[in-house]
Amino acid sequence: MTTLSISRSRFSFSPGFLAWLAFLAICLGIGLISAFQVLTNGLIVTNMSNTVPWGLWITIDLSSIALGAGAFTLSAVIYIFRIKPLERIARLAVLVGLIGYSSALLTLVMDIGRPDRFWHPWVFWNVHSVLWEITWCITLYLGVLLVEFAPVISDLPIFDRWPIIPRIGHGVHKAAPVLAVAGLLISLLHQSSLGATYGIIKARPIWFKPSMPIMFIISAVAVGPALTMAAALIIEWVTGRKEVPHKVLRTIARFSGLGLLAYAYIKFWDLAAVTYYGSTPGSNNALYILNQYTPYGFGFWIGEILIGIVIPVILFLVPRFNRKPMNLILGSVFAAAGIVINRWIVTVSGLIVPMDYSPGVEFQLDPGVYTPSLVEWGIVIGVIGYALLVFTLAVRFLPIFTNGGSKSSS
Amino acid sequence: MSKKKPRVRVNLKRRDFLTVAATAAGSAVVAQLVTTGPLSPFSELKEAQLTGLETKEHPPGEHHWGMVINLDKCIGCEYCQRACSAVNDVAPDKPWNIVVEDRTETGHKFFFSRPCLHCQHAPCVEVCPVQATYVREDGIVIMDYDRCIGCRYCEVACPFDARKFNWEERADENEFVPTWGVPEVERRPRGVVEKCTFCNHRIDPALEKGLVPGEHLEATPACVNVCPVGARTFGDMNDPDSNISHVLKENPTLQLREELGTNASVYYIPPREGV
Repeated sequence: MTTLSISRSRFSFSPGFLAWLAFLAICLGIGLISAFQVLTNGLIVTNMSNTVPWGLWITIDLSSIALGAGAFTLSAVIYIFRIKPLERIARLAVLVGLIGYSSALLTLVMDIGRPDRFWHPWVFWNVHSVLWEITWCITLYLGVLLVEFAPVISDLPIFDRWPIIPRIGHGVHKAAPVLAVAGLLISLLHQSSLGATYGIIKARPIWFKPSMPIMFIISAVAVGPALTMAAALIIEWVTGRKEVPHKVLRTIARFSGLGLLAYAYIKFWDLAAVTYYGSTPGSNNALYILNQYTPYGFGFWIGEILIGIVIPVILFLVPRFNRKPMNLILGSVFAAAGIVINRWIVTVSGLIVPMDYSPGVEFQLDPGVYTPSLVEWGIVIGVIGYALLVFTLAVRFLPIFTNGGSKSSS
Repeated sequence: MSKKKPRVRVNLKRRDFLTVAATAAGSAVVAQLVTTGPLSPFSELKEAQLTGLETKEHPPGEHHWGMVINLDKCIGCEYCQRACSAVNDVAPDKPWNIVVEDRTETGHKFFFSRPCLHCQHAPCVEVCPVQATYVREDGIVIMDYDRCIGCRYCEVACPFDARKFNWEERADENEFVPTWGVPEVERRPRGVVEKCTFCNHRIDPALEKGLVPGEHLEATPACVNVCPVGARTFGDMNDPDSNISHVLKENPTLQLREELGTNASVYYIPPREGV
């Protein structure tokens, strides 16, 4: 058995696989060059400014954390609610979560002005800061993910020589329900706190509302599992091995569809509150500016509602569509795009609306302008390359699907 | 208990009812005590909220440094901005002090200027993940440049646009030096946020020498000293005999965005034509 898997991984680099690795290498190269630029010259190489101090990178942070939410959602469903058939996808969910969170941390280290002081939040506490709490939660949860992922590593044939290692791995796996509870608590906390990061900023009328954390957590819970489902389908599509029964994947799709409907419901009331019964002079002015000077009104309806909610809901929930794997992949891609667009619009639209503080005078400052620079895109390409590379290598060389699914078919 | 249920149904029902009622009442009392009552961890905050609206609180220290800016006097010469940029060696394109032209609703022109407002409930202080910025005992909001990680959340949270980030290592020549003053503090390193300090590097040593900030020039912020029309008054708001206390008593003043409850230490005398 051992020799079989080793020989399989050593000798089957197909041309397509090599081309894919080369593509990823180019992405990583672009990322490394950009990172070098940022680290040597400082954040001046970005197009962020004192008016718009956050931009594309924060969007990627928030999106990759939200898209990594499948790990805690599915772990909770599998180990706390004991939905056994889903267990086939548990390791994949943890892998996607690990990749999401580590990508977020990578981008974050680029984004802060002093990467050498990244450890400060752990030493210098400000318990009043949501960002402090988020930093703690993200690192703690990354730890939980690593422990949850440990059995995957210890299952490697390499460790057959030292039986203690697989045994530890199985012991850790026995603790899966405990880890799932911890993951659930920590994730519910920080996924919503990411929304609160914006929701508590009382100076900015576009952000300052209690619905922010709720929309963030619901969208993450809805779309995270969908991405894991899409990952399973793509693996099946590339390798030709049916690792997870389609019935299970359709269940996840339906879950995501219902989650997106809940998200749409909250979003509807949020829209009603902001534009109608809860509108203030400040938020009215801000919306006026956004509609006059930016594409974000359009972006909201097309990007967030149509692409991010309506299309995925139809593809996930209508039986005629969700039987085709291609539709499920498409739906997940659209839903994920909706998340990224939402996080982008939240970040940038809140910042480009100028703040009014001079007594009695409106629009004293000009609206901010922001389009990401090449270096910013370079970092994003590098991070995406990193994520895809880890995903590819893990799927290729690690026993991601339990119970010997891959071994029996090879 | 449930096994006995069929036999002594009436008794148990009453007991159940009493238990439920007592539990409900008990939890209600406990909930009341810990949320809004005397056991609540928030009771102090709540009291502060209720009373803070009536009387302005002061920081716990002996002094509370504050500033009054008379918009009626300001002529928009920008001297304050220049002196500040020279003394604190601020990048000319990212000034700590700004002066802009405004119009009142009736169309009268006036000039509006703004240092950091040194809020007592500063949004920037609340959001900093590493406590790199804090309100001192004398009310000054200050940065710890050695601790800041450069996440710029404070910049995002500040309602007054008073914070600036060091996007690069500065190598520029300060055009306001030496005409408007000489740098009295170091340049901030790349990657940290900086802000107006009320020239605390002048206040702190001056107090040890027994000087009075707001009266002695070497103990007073550069922007206040340089103003040719005396539009800015600086001093200790805790001292009822200080200049600033008299100005505050004798004039109608306002704080910027008072509705946010940040309780700024900078007060404005509005233009006479009204805003």
